[in-house]
Amino acid sequence: MNPEELIASGNLELYVCGALPEDEVLEVQKAIQDFPEVRHEVELIEQSLLHLAETVAPPVQAMSWTAILNAIRNDNNTEESKVRSINWPAITGWAAAILFMGGIMWMLKQTNDLNNSIQVTTTENTVLREEKSKAENQLAENNEVLEVLRSKDYQVYTLPGNQAVAPEAFAKVYLNKQENIAYIDTKGLPTPPRGKVYQVWSLKMEPLTPTSMGLISTENEMGEGIFKFVNFPDAEAFGITLEPEGGSEMPTMSQLYTLGVITI
Amino acid sequence: MEQPNDLIIEMQNGNEKAFSRLYTMYSEAIYGIIYSIVLDEETAEELLQDVFIKVWNNASSYSVNKGRFFTWLLNIARNTAIDETRSKAFKNSRKNLSTTNFVDILSSSDSLNRKTNTIGIKKFVDALKPACIKIIDLLYFKGFTQAEASKTLEIPLGTLKTRNRTCINELRVMVLG
Repeated sequence: MNPEELIASGNLELYVCGALPEDEVLEVQKAIQDFPEVRHEVELIEQSLLHLAETVAPPVQAMSWTAILNAIRNDNNTEESKVRSINWPAITGWAAAILFMGGIMWMLKQTNDLNNSIQVTTTENTVLREEKSKAENQLAENNEVLEVLRSKDYQVYTLPGNQAVAPEAFAKVYLNKQENIAYIDTKGLPTPPRGKVYQVWSLKMEPLTPTSMGLISTENEMGEGIFKFVNFPDAEAFGITLEPEGGSEMPTMSQLYTLGVITI
Repeated sequence: MEQPNDLIIEMQNGNEKAFSRLYTMYSEAIYGIIYSIVLDEETAEELLQDVFIKVWNNASSYSVNKGRFFTWLLNIARNTAIDETRSKAFKNSRKNLSTTNFVDILSSSDSLNRKTNTIGIKKFVDALKPACIKIIDLLYFKGFTQAEASKTLEIPLGTLKTRNRTCINELRVMVLG
């Protein structure tokens, strides 16, 4: 198309409107560069359309330009600040807050643990104190027994086993004649069967009179297998029999385990 | 009006003053285009700002050798405004905008303070043939391609072109004397 044809074709109007296909745009573009009359025509078309659009527009607010200017300046600023966009004060603040919270939690847990361990320790202390007092009692008893064994007031007698019932059995008696106190060591006696207890008897020989001194039980146990008896009549002999639980009025002679005469 | 290529190049180099001058030259027409699509002053105002922010940010994508600066602006403005009309929020608030054209705006905008009558355009558009109104509305204000406009108006492409030229010529006589 020569310039005149192009101007008459209506393509220039479409070109300004942006409605022309790409290939024809290139043709117009070239013609504008080559022919001043084509460029002039395009400018006139553009100006007419520009005016038409302006008449349609409501008044433009002056603040629109301010808003645009602010937006493009902020954009520039944010682009600059993106480089150093790490907000250290905020990060530090958060980190401190987290550390602080963590510290408090840790201390609370620590306090809790300590309280618990105090409780455990207190319980342990109580147990230990009880054990200590038990041990002290035990020691006192043992000392008493030791005193007895060492004392000149006590005589030692061995009650041999009854050949018929328990030939291997024996018992030892530590006797204070003056005060009528006897310690009986039952280490040589077999463990009594279930439901049976040993009963200790003091015996007068002429005539044979048994008097119960008491049962061998934990109540009068002084030390390991050593039992204390008091308040019994003068004895010429001691006997130990196996009796039903609770003891008997009279010794069951068929269950006489040991018997020994005291020689003065 | 000669295209201010020097200003455009300065703007492309980041010159705010040049950008300001270009805004003064083109903003009102671009605002008219946007308003004719969204038909709401507040929305049009916001979109006008968006368009010129886009222009600034994408200034380098325009080349003097590729077409008219005004046509480039037109495309950005129409696309921005049409995108807005497709948004959900916009659809919810308005309906059936497509039937309104620039002449409807002009005839209903007597109260708006404008210089329309001094340049005689209002008189022109009042007298404008309905065919011209439709053609100019589609090709210029709504951004239809020539093929789309030809199809929509059901006239051959050649007829569309000559009719469009005739209509714009009439406009030219009115506007530029």
